[in-house]
Amino acid sequence: MSATSDRRAHVLGPTIVSGANVSAANVSGANVSAANVSGANVSAANVSGTNVSGTNVSATNVREANGRDVLLEFEGLRVEVPTPVGPRPVLRSVSLAIAAGEAVGLVGESGSGKSMTARSVLGMLPAGATRSGAVRFRGAEIGGLDAAGLRRLRSRDVAMVFQDPRATVNPVRTVGDFLTEVLRERGLSRPAALAKAGGILEDIGVDHLRRRLKQRPYELSGGLLQRVVIAAALAGEPDLILADEPTTALDVTTQEEVVAILDEQRRQRGTALLFISHDLELATAVCDRIAVMYAGEIVEILPAAQLHEAARHPYTKALLRARPGSVPPGERLQTVPGVPQSAIDAPPGCVFADRCPVAESICRTVVPALVGGVACHLEGVS
Amino acid sequence: MILEVNDLRKVFHRDEVAVDGVSFAVPVGGSLAIVGESGSGKTTCARIVAGLEHATSGTIQLGDLSPKSGRKEKARVVQMVFQDPYQSLDRRQTVSSCLGEILDFHSDLDKSQRAEKIKDLLDLVGLDQRYATALPKQLSGGQRQRVAIARALAPLPRLLILDEAVAALDVSIQAQILNLLVDARAATGVGYLFITHDLSVVRHVCDDVIVMRRGQVVERGPVEKVLGDPTHDYTKKLVGSIPRPGWVPARGSTRD
Repeated sequence: MSATSDRRAHVLGPTIVSGANVSAANVSGANVSAANVSGANVSAANVSGTNVSGTNVSATNVREANGRDVLLEFEGLRVEVPTPVGPRPVLRSVSLAIAAGEAVGLVGESGSGKSMTARSVLGMLPAGATRSGAVRFRGAEIGGLDAAGLRRLRSRDVAMVFQDPRATVNPVRTVGDFLTEVLRERGLSRPAALAKAGGILEDIGVDHLRRRLKQRPYELSGGLLQRVVIAAALAGEPDLILADEPTTALDVTTQEEVVAILDEQRRQRGTALLFISHDLELATAVCDRIAVMYAGEIVEILPAAQLHEAARHPYTKALLRARPGSVPPGERLQTVPGVPQSAIDAPPGCVFADRCPVAESICRTVVPALVGGVACHLEGVS
Repeated sequence: MILEVNDLRKVFHRDEVAVDGVSFAVPVGGSLAIVGESGSGKTTCARIVAGLEHATSGTIQLGDLSPKSGRKEKARVVQMVFQDPYQSLDRRQTVSSCLGEILDFHSDLDKSQRAEKIKDLLDLVGLDQRYATALPKQLSGGQRQRVAIARALAPLPRLLILDEAVAALDVSIQAQILNLLVDARAATGVGYLFITHDLSVVRHVCDDVIVMRRGQVVERGPVEKVLGDPTHDYTKKLVGSIPRPGWVPARGSTRD
């Protein structure tokens, strides 16, 4: 897909949305003239807003990463899936750049589009899904890769760790087979591949190596098996690891061990990480920056160390306050009214407007651009 | 005490000891958490109390309920809420029918009393009346869990067992349900036996806690004391593993 057609496809989405805006504004009466005049303008503003923010973000990222190159970049990524009532978006507009060696946490509630964002990197979208906007790995658009390019991306450049290790590892093959599959394909001899796989297992604290390599998945605990999956991800020496809730199925003490290993090995090898989690604190502990997703959009991006002090988006603040442990025992948790918004029927303006405690009229009609790390019209107000 | 469990033991398949001599009690209107990791035996304890499993040995006293009483009498004393609100409701049954069925089974209400009672239950769990005619598929996960809690509270039980009842919910919804549980206990005087692996939710709904590991209780006491100043090494490790501001995950010495 060329850059121009990207833009054009991108224009289509917001134009439709702003069409709804105009009629909403008409109903309210007072805004009629403004809305009429800017009917086309609103959509133009929306589009340029999104695009500009995409560029801004990547520029900021490069600076924040001390001049390191951008490894992975999403720009205005929009994904629509077919439904009985026509295509509906699951990602509305995702703009994010990850530098080489950087760890970014993607957090949000279920259905916010975290996994879909990660899957789009490997071209693993649901059947019939359409995509606009750009996903670039080392500057190359992923949609433009041929079969060989995609294969190289999936096997060599990027590794993925999923939530359930038992669904990842072939149950009838040994752990050794699983770990050496990629290495053997690259032409390593069997003994050399086994030695390398064993070395990585040793690095991540798995003992009884000889026995482990001959065992099958059912003989290993969930925590141990997830370490094997991480070892397999590291064995391919990728530039980027996509970890989708890698510890959600594990006990909390095992989770600590597994994220510590992931963090340590990633730093030692200079591997970039996109860490998907619903747990803000967990993501904060292993990432350099945190991107908060809601209803198919990134609503805030900020350095992990500043999450608690510097969160500006009302949704990020609400998430932080809703955690048990955020208030002293016995006090009531502060809740957000309503249920998490689905990207599919998100409102015409800000996706959080319907649940936002401080929303104003502009929030319901105009999509806020992600500028300076936050997508909120009232940034700084609350 | 509404629940007194003494020296409970459960052995599966002749030699797999799931629960190994566990004793605990829940005062009337009290709230006890059983925490532990997978395989610690916490869910087995809950299922035995609810009557879903038979104990190998040990005694369970539910209030003044005779051990010979039938399932119906027992169901009026103890009810259970499960983790997955998507699986615990009948997908063909509307919310009001689901609640009405339990009310009919346990009490003798006329039509208007029944409707009034359903309305009260929906109010208690913070569900709008318009959802009374909804089917489960029309409800979100949080709303379904509210229905499951309303159903469990319908026979006015004196003990509610909550087995990971908030574990599957998103954090903003989980907060709503935790507040609801605090309110429902205050409003009805029901006691809670709260089974969870998540220590941070324990602080919000429980007075006392027991920590289980490999079928045994390793530490017990008031929540504040056990989670704030744990004495057993395992409890310390458990408390230390909770991600929190400033937390740095460490590679421990455990090898499995």
